[in-house]
Amino acid sequence: MTAGLGEEVYDVFARKNRGEPLHHIGYVDADGEALARVYAWTTYDEENWFEMCVIRRDNIIPVNRADGPWGTNRPPIGEAQ
Amino acid sequence: MTGGKQGSDPAPFARHLLSLADTKRILGIRYSDWLLGAPSIETGIAASAMAQDEWGHARLLYSMLKDFGFDPFEIEHERPAARYYSAPALDQPLEDWAGVVAAVAVVDRALEVALESLSQGSFELARSRVPKMLAEEEFHRSFGDAWFRRLSEAGGEARKRLESHVGAMLPSTLAWLAPDDGPYAELASEGLVRSSEEVRERFDQAFAHLAGAIGIDAGAVEPDRSGWDEMRRRGPGAPAEDAVERARGDRNRALFVE
Repeated sequence: MTAGLGEEVYDVFARKNRGEPLHHIGYVDADGEALARVYAWTTYDEENWFEMCVIRRDNIIPVNRADGPWGTNRPPIGEAQ
Repeated sequence: MTGGKQGSDPAPFARHLLSLADTKRILGIRYSDWLLGAPSIETGIAASAMAQDEWGHARLLYSMLKDFGFDPFEIEHERPAARYYSAPALDQPLEDWAGVVAAVAVVDRALEVALESLSQGSFELARSRVPKMLAEEEFHRSFGDAWFRRLSEAGGEARKRLESHVGAMLPSTLAWLAPDDGPYAELASEGLVRSSEEVRERFDQAFAHLAGAIGIDAGAVEPDRSGWDEMRRRGPGAPAEDAVERARGDRNRALFVE
């Protein structure tokens, strides 16, 4: 999925403490993984995160819904491939 | 220098700390100029975070001067521009985004090399406090490197401006990073910092991949030592008055509390 300036959308996931579930906390537009890391870390710095990671939105494969932010990546199960 | 029990001028190591602190403080000002003018919201937020990092680091470095008899409050809030020790490449505002990218790649990287040298020296306070600064600087480096590659690969005006800014910043920054004078040599011989030759070599290694991307041989660039002032650890000139007024917090002076 392409954002402005020819950038890609990266979804940001984080957990506050070891053992907690990883939560989807937002997204950033970035030109490549290096900038996605920096933008995620500086944009979502409201917590002292134990762990944060980013993934390019195009690489997230939805399983059962077509109406979420990742719905356009693949048809959900049950629909024609 | 006001506030020092040692008389009118700080000792060489205090001058070295001031040089690092002042450069970080003015670099923070220069980054902050771009909070709302960066190419994207994310980029502006990153510039804001880097500005805050630089000011936090500067505050820590100024606080180290207590060990040398200086009052950090006076140092931060009372000095005129002519008594700033910051790197000359930051004296004037960064005129476009390519200038910001060049400053991250050249000046911020030179600061990182200088801090690394300080953290590995014999000054205990730096050995314990500077590693956290260096960890935060990793994000600055990632940011600068990615934008540098983006502009250099874009070609045209973007690359031309980047080349121009890097070419203008490198010589004075190399002189600032690796002084060729007696006081710095004394610090190195005492084990407080790495030698001039070593920090230059370290910088060249760290910057070579970016310099090569715009056709510059980092190791071949001559430092500009013209008008070198041993006392201020820099060449002639001073940061623009507007930046110093902001660094000192002149407009908030009435709000200062002891």
